[in-house]
Amino acid sequence: MAESEVSLLEYLDLSQLTCLNETQDHTFKAIVADKKKNTGSAYLESDADEQLLLTLPFNQTVKIRSIAIQSSNVEQAPRKIRLVTNRPALNFDDLEDGGAVLQEIELSEEDVREGRKVPLRFVKFQSVNSLHVFVVSNQGDEDQTRIDAIDVFGMPLQGTRDVSGLKKVEDD
Amino acid sequence: MRNGDYHPNRFQAQSDAVTTLFQTKVDSNPENTVGFMTMAGKGPEVLVTHTKDLGQILSAIHSSQDKIGGVADIPTAIAVAQLALKHRSNKNLRQRIVVFVASPLQGQGADEKYMVRLAKKLKKNNVAIDFIAFGDGIEEGEHSILKTFVENANSGDNCHYLAVPPGPHLLSDIILNSPILAGDRGIPEEAMGDIASGAAAGGAGGFEFGVDPSLDPELAMALRMSMEEEQARQAAAAQASGAPSSSGAASTPALAAAAAAATSSTSAPPTGAAQAAAGAAAAEDEEDEEAMLQKALAMSQGQDVEMADHQGGQEESEEDEIKRAIEMSMKGNDQQQQ
Repeated sequence: MAESEVSLLEYLDLSQLTCLNETQDHTFKAIVADKKKNTGSAYLESDADEQLLLTLPFNQTVKIRSIAIQSSNVEQAPRKIRLVTNRPALNFDDLEDGGAVLQEIELSEEDVREGRKVPLRFVKFQSVNSLHVFVVSNQGDEDQTRIDAIDVFGMPLQGTRDVSGLKKVEDD
Repeated sequence: MRNGDYHPNRFQAQSDAVTTLFQTKVDSNPENTVGFMTMAGKGPEVLVTHTKDLGQILSAIHSSQDKIGGVADIPTAIAVAQLALKHRSNKNLRQRIVVFVASPLQGQGADEKYMVRLAKKLKKNNVAIDFIAFGDGIEEGEHSILKTFVENANSGDNCHYLAVPPGPHLLSDIILNSPILAGDRGIPEEAMGDIASGAAAGGAGGFEFGVDPSLDPELAMALRMSMEEEQARQAAAAQASGAPSSSGAASTPALAAAAAAATSSTSAPPTGAAQAAAGAAAAEDEEDEEAMLQKALAMSQGQDVEMADHQGGQEESEEDEIKRAIEMSMKGNDQQQQ
């Protein structure tokens, strides 16, 4: 455990970021656009019902150790979440049966109120290119789910390097 | 599908609309791709998956020509379309399904509760949907299942319902001028909102001056300005004609009023059209016109009041003048004859 645990949001590939069932006004992008845990007034809200499907694509392979989700309204905060990795073409139908789910987590009210880190089964999240968070239900069975901030902790995999920051050198 | 109520027949009109749709979508963004599927026959069938190649679409349309028949299964077709959309290579593309409906809804498609649930599911999965109803696809009465479907699937005004009644217009033209393709043609969809109904009613003929104001705002502005100038000119002419003729005493107010009425009635049809096309602008026009009319009336009446004092003298002198003129012309004639 010598490796330092860092927030993986800085490795997010924002251009590929998607969220299903988000409202137009309160999008997922708004709360992770800064590539750090959101502290502003923006939040993510679900649209047609309480479920949400967040896709967090990383620009390099990462290991994920824990996840933190925070919501200012506990009633609307996610309760049951399912985690899937490396399935870019995911939609709600794929998750109904729960076949591809790596881990299912039941969040407590304290977890979401304070944005507490929830440890994952580390061995299952060793080579992650994209993490999908399926919010199944919320704490108060509200129609809308609200997430104010999300953070993912772990470490970038050694040997892979972030090339997205490289710029093409102009030929003379 | 072979009915001739749409030119040249329903299937041809629809094929034409499909190619127009394809071309507009692909042209609007180089990353856009379009697939093609049929809903009836033995069952829904995907003929072309995502492509930018018009040839593939054309050949698919051609091959589907021999398969006309059966019953369109809309719910299943939408599910199949969703699957086809899911396996697109570029995940950045937003998904959209455009459904052409020319036959009455049947089976599950006619079950409103089921359709609403399906619409909610589409919305949840971030799939936009457009319905183009024509022929028997236009549901009778005020209540429309397809419209309800679109309302339930709508998020951020990205889904549309368009009913195209039969007529001499081309199906593809109307789709081109509808909100369905507005976004792909660089026109803000809000601008198309009011016009869509007009377009559906009578094609391009429904627009003021026969030009779609949203397509060429500068032209529309120029046309409107020239119309206003002409109105102003006519009003000025009415005033001018009102002033000299006021010497004709009691008959003048009626004359001026008639002139003013004439200007307002000639300009009435254009403002009526403008109301259909762009409500706010039309209202301003009307105010201007009314103000002008009032002014014209007031001026002519005011002049009458002033004139009233001198009426007697002027009338006499005028009669004298006329007599003198007749005499002179008579003399002239005599001289010529001599």
